[in-house]
Amino acid sequence: MPHLAVEDISVYYPGQQRPALTRASTYVKSGEFVVLVGRSGCGKTTLLNVVAGLLKPTDGRVRIDGETITGPSADRALVFQNDALFPWLNARENVAFALKLRGVSRKDRGEMADRLLGLVKLDGFGDKQIWQLSGGMRQRVGLARALAAQPAFLLMDEPLGALDALTRERMQTLLLDIWAQSKVGALMVTHGIDEALLLATRIVVLAPGPGRIIREIETGFGRRYVEGETVRSIKADPAFALARADIEDSIFEGETV
Amino acid sequence: MTLSVETQRDIAELRGEPAASPGRRTKAGHLWSTRSISLGTIALFFIAWTLVAYFRLVSPVFLPSPLAVLWKFYTVATSGFVDATLWQHLSASLLRVFAALFFSLLVAIPVGIAIGISRIGRGIFDPILEFLRPIPPLAYLPLVIIWFGIGEPSKILVIAIAMLAPIAISTASGVRGVSHDRINAAKTLGASNIQLVLNVILPSATPSILTGLRIALGTGWTTLVAAELVAATRGLGFMIQSAAQFLVTDVVIMGIFTIAIIAFILEVGLRRLERWLVPWSGRE
Ligand SMILES: Nc1ncnc2c1ncn2[C@@H]1O[C@H](COP(=O)(O)OP(=O)(O)OP(=O)(O)O)[C@@H](O)[C@H]1O
Ligand SMILES: [Mg+2]
Repeated sequence: MPHLAVEDISVYYPGQQRPALTRASTYVKSGEFVVLVGRSGCGKTTLLNVVAGLLKPTDGRVRIDGETITGPSADRALVFQNDALFPWLNARENVAFALKLRGVSRKDRGEMADRLLGLVKLDGFGDKQIWQLSGGMRQRVGLARALAAQPAFLLMDEPLGALDALTRERMQTLLLDIWAQSKVGALMVTHGIDEALLLATRIVVLAPGPGRIIREIETGFGRRYVEGETVRSIKADPAFALARADIEDSIFEGETV
Repeated sequence: MTLSVETQRDIAELRGEPAASPGRRTKAGHLWSTRSISLGTIALFFIAWTLVAYFRLVSPVFLPSPLAVLWKFYTVATSGFVDATLWQHLSASLLRVFAALFFSLLVAIPVGIAIGISRIGRGIFDPILEFLRPIPPLAYLPLVIIWFGIGEPSKILVIAIAMLAPIAISTASGVRGVSHDRINAAKTLGASNIQLVLNVILPSATPSILTGLRIALGTGWTTLVAAELVAATRGLGFMIQSAAQFLVTDVVIMGIFTIAIIAFILEVGLRRLERWLVPWSGRE
C-alpha cells in the first residue's frame, strides 16, 4: 500500500517576502481521499504542485514509501481545473497518449482508451474532437487520461471548479465511484466545503499569511456514499451540517487580516 | 457602444470564421458587399487600362493593352520566351522557392524551438536572427555568390536565408505560448523532455509555425525575383528581367501578373493547409 508523506514543506517563491507555504506536513495513503480546503492564496495549489513534483520546495521533502521524490512521474497524475487536454488529439487519442507514455503497445491502446472512457461514462465519445465536448465531458476525459497513467496517487486541483452546479454534483459521485474502484490515494483541492465533506475521508484545512496547515479532520461521508447511501440522505444528516459549520469556523479562524 | 455588423464581420473574417451576420448583408442596409466593391475596383482598373491603351495616351511600348498581355500569356505558354515556356520559367521559380522553404523549415523550426524552450538556445540564436532579420536579401546576395558561385545553390540559399528569421521567430513565439498546464499534464503523465517537445510543444506551436510559413513564403517570393536577376537561365524573375532589357513590356507585365496569381494561389493553399492541420486553432 503506497504511502505518500509530505514532510515539513516550505516554499518561498522568488521575490516574495512571505513564504507561500511553511512547514506543511501531512500524508496520503492509498484508499484515502484527502481534500485540501482554505481561503484563496493559502498555498493549496503550491502544495499540490510540490507533491506532483512540478515545484521544488525550498525546504522539506515528499516521500513515497520512504523514497524522496525528485520530479513529476506517472505515479502521481495531476488533473487540472481547465482540463489541459491536447486539442490536436481526439478524446480517445488524449487518453491513449497517457497509455503510450506508459509503454502500452500501439494495438492495445485504442481498446484500453475506450474502456477508460467508459469508466468516466463517455462510451462512444472517443472520436469526438476536444472542442466538440462540454466542460464536464472534457473534465472526464482529463480524468480518464490521468487514470490511464495508472497512478498510485491522483492529484486534482479544483477539478470541478469550472463546472455548473448540476454537472458538478454528477461529477462528485463519479469521482467517488472511480476512487472506490481504483483504490488510488486521492489528493484534491476544492473551494466547496460541501464538496470537500462529501468526497473526503480526511479534510486538511490551510490558512494564509503565511500558508500553513492548521487542522486535519477525519470524515466519513464519502465512504457512506460508496457503501450505498444516497447523496441526498448524506447531506440531510445533521452531522453533515455540523461538520460544515466546524470547517467554516476553522477557515475563518485562520484569518489574520 | 455596439459594433456594426460590418465590423463584426470583419473581425470574424480576421479570425477566419464564417461571419455570423443576420441574413444577407444587403438586407442589413448595405447595397454593396465588400467583395463586390473589390470586384468593381478591379474592373475599373482594367477599363481604365484598356482606355489608356486604346487611345494611345501612352505608347504601347510602355503600356501594352490588357489584350496584348493576355495574348502573351498564350504565346509564352506555348512557344516560350528566352528559350523557355511560361511553365518552365514558373516551375523553375517554384522549385527554388520550395527547395528554399524546405531547407529553411529544416533549420528554422529546431532553432525556433531551441529559442523558445532554452535560455542557452535563446542566447545563441537570438543575436544571429536579429542580425539577419533587418538585412535585405539583395544585400547579402553578392556575398553568397562570391562564396558559392552563381549556380542554383546560391539562389536557393539566398531565399532560404530570407525565410529563416520569420519561421524561427514565429516558432519561438508559438513555443513560448504553450500552455503551462498542458506541459505539466504531460510531465505528470510521465513524458520525457523529447516526448514533451514532439508531442506537446510542437503541436501547440503549429498554428504559429504556419503563420511564420506564410510570412516566409511572401518573403521568399519577393526574394526570388532578386535572386533570379543574377545569371539564371530560367525563372519568372529572369523572364521579366530579360524582357525588360529588350523592352518587351507585355511580357514584363504578364510576368508580374503571373507572380501575383501564384502568390494568391499559395495563400489560398496555405489557408487550406491550416484548416486541415490545425482545425482546433481558435476553438479552444
Ligand atoms: N508563481 C508564483 N510566483 C510568486 N508567487 C506565487 C506564485 N504562485 C503562487 N504565488 C503566491 O503564493 C501564495 C499561494 O498561492 P497558491 O496558488 O498556492 O494559493 P491557492 O491556495 O491555490 O489559491 P487559490 O485558492 O486562489 O487557487 C499566494 O500568495 C500567491 O500569490
Ligand atoms: Mg489554486
